Amino acid sequence: MIKTIFFTVLTLAFFYIVWINNIFAPHEKYEMPPEHRMIAMDYKNAKEGRELFIQNCASCHSVRYDAIYPAQVQANPMLKQLQEKYGKVLPRDVYEAVFMNDLNSMKESYGKIPPDLSTIYLVKGPEYLYNFILEPQKVLPGTAMPPVMTGRPEDTAKIIAYLMSVSEPSPAEKAKRNIMGVVTIGYLIVMGILIWIWRERILKRMGLH
Amino acid sequence: MIGRIGRWFDERGKLSKLWQSQMVDYKVPKNLTFPYAFGVMATVAFLIQIISGIFLVMYYQPNIHTAFDSVNYTIMKEIPFMWLIRHIHAAGANFFLAIVYLHIFAGIYYNAYKKPRELTWIVGFFIYFVLLATALSGYLLPWGQLSYWGMVVTTEIPTSIDSAPIIGKLKIGETISVWMKGGYELGQITLGRFFGLHIWLLPLILLGLVGFHFYLIRAHGITSPDGREIDKKKEGVPFHPYMTLKEGVYLMVYLAIFFFFVFFYMKHFLPADNYDPADPFKTPAHIAPEWYLLAFYAIFRSIPNKFLGFVMFSVALLLLLILPFLDFSPLRSTRNRPLFFVMFVVLVISSMALTILGSMSPTPTVAFLGLIFTLTFVSFFISLPIISILELRKYKAEGGSKND
Repeated sequence: MIKTIFFTVLTLAFFYIVWINNIFAPHEKYEMPPEHRMIAMDYKNAKEGRELFIQNCASCHSVRYDAIYPAQVQANPMLKQLQEKYGKVLPRDVYEAVFMNDLNSMKESYGKIPPDLSTIYLVKGPEYLYNFILEPQKVLPGTAMPPVMTGRPEDTAKIIAYLMSVSEPSPAEKAKRNIMGVVTIGYLIVMGILIWIWRERILKRMGLH
Repeated sequence: MIGRIGRWFDERGKLSKLWQSQMVDYKVPKNLTFPYAFGVMATVAFLIQIISGIFLVMYYQPNIHTAFDSVNYTIMKEIPFMWLIRHIHAAGANFFLAIVYLHIFAGIYYNAYKKPRELTWIVGFFIYFVLLATALSGYLLPWGQLSYWGMVVTTEIPTSIDSAPIIGKLKIGETISVWMKGGYELGQITLGRFFGLHIWLLPLILLGLVGFHFYLIRAHGITSPDGREIDKKKEGVPFHPYMTLKEGVYLMVYLAIFFFFVFFYMKHFLPADNYDPADPFKTPAHIAPEWYLLAFYAIFRSIPNKFLGFVMFSVALLLLLILPFLDFSPLRSTRNRPLFFVMFVVLVISSMALTILGSMSPTPTVAFLGLIFTLTFVSFFISLPIISILELRKYKAEGGSKND
């Protein structure tokens, strides 16, 4: 009994550390004021954030999963033709091959092609993005990113809300997934209990108990 | 109507006879404990991986330009419910390996590798090894930063042979490394071959090995927790319904925990850094392998010499393989072996500590602790022959014969 408890606790503690909260692994922490966090986490701000993104960021950055392309690509007449053929979201190989000249001219002026931001929210998280967009040089010294949004923390939070809406499922979808999860887990637990009851009965009848 | 079709089938297929002989007449010890359920859980985890993998491969594109988008856009956003399949496949891989580790430790605890079950253990070891290769090759497929750089580090492991004193001159390691990658850099050829390995060759090898593993378990019967072989004619309970229903309950609990992670906690199984598309010109800050390799990684890292690290890493795997031959004591099951129990606890704690040390940033303290836990890890295997001799002596003094 003591051995069982010992090994169970040890195993659970191990998987808690390795899978859920590794207190030993190196972490980078960034702060974000709670009121701006509220704005960034609100899906309703995504629409406004999209407009702000197009005004401030889309001259260099693309969000391919939302069919937003850099200004130079947007001005290229090929874009419309390609979108008619492939749909709004262009395949990456087609996009990079056709707009190679546009992308290369951006590379010349910035030192590298400004990255696509379709999944950046999932990679960096809201806190890092908030600090980086407000003061790029402070977070990542030597970066080519200009301080476009400095002094506009609320608009920055709205842009983060937009980037979140591109990567994460919408609240309605999320609610649906949560219900699915609860129903699945509930079904399995009820099945487990039913199997247990059935087993008790069968074993009693067979005299194996 | 359905009953008539069923009877027609049964008369020709003899299915109920098969069921009776394989499930009901098969007798197992009555006192099987919870750890005996890890085997059936691993089987279910394997089936889940195969089924979810079949659906994923319908939309995945093994092309370095489109792989990332096919995973993160087509699968995660475009096709309904494919996010669920991907979550199941990603969490399933981690759960599969976790269950396999627990199964291995349960096997050590109950001495399930002893005569006549040595071959079962060896086949199981190869299942574990192929499983690691499957996990590694599958990890490359999303073509994110972690996939790419993880594989860069993995394909560099053989090059540590080249820092050996004499054989290093032959550059065997580099040849192996180039052969694994299909070139000097990771590219389309690497992705293509690992995709092929991951969806066809390795799962087929696994299926064959798992089938053989099952056959061996059936051929020798299952061990019992107190280490006594049962007389199958007089003792034992029918496998069905006694054990199937018990393990069914355990399985439901396991699946409930699994689906909790699938729906509500995918942060660890789909790590943030892997949402960044692979970029050969940008090295990420922390490259560490997945958790199931961290123990070996810690052993590799804590030894200053690269070649010795590689040797130590191979020795650790080899010791696991020859475990049945190191432990020749007549006693079975840790319940009867207090000395073995102590060393088993040492083994468990040192493997857990090595895993956690592998996830920490490399400092001299971590390297030193890693060295200590490597020694305690190996000490389990070294102590086995000594424990066996001591137990053999005591056993003979008490009048038991060796061939019991």
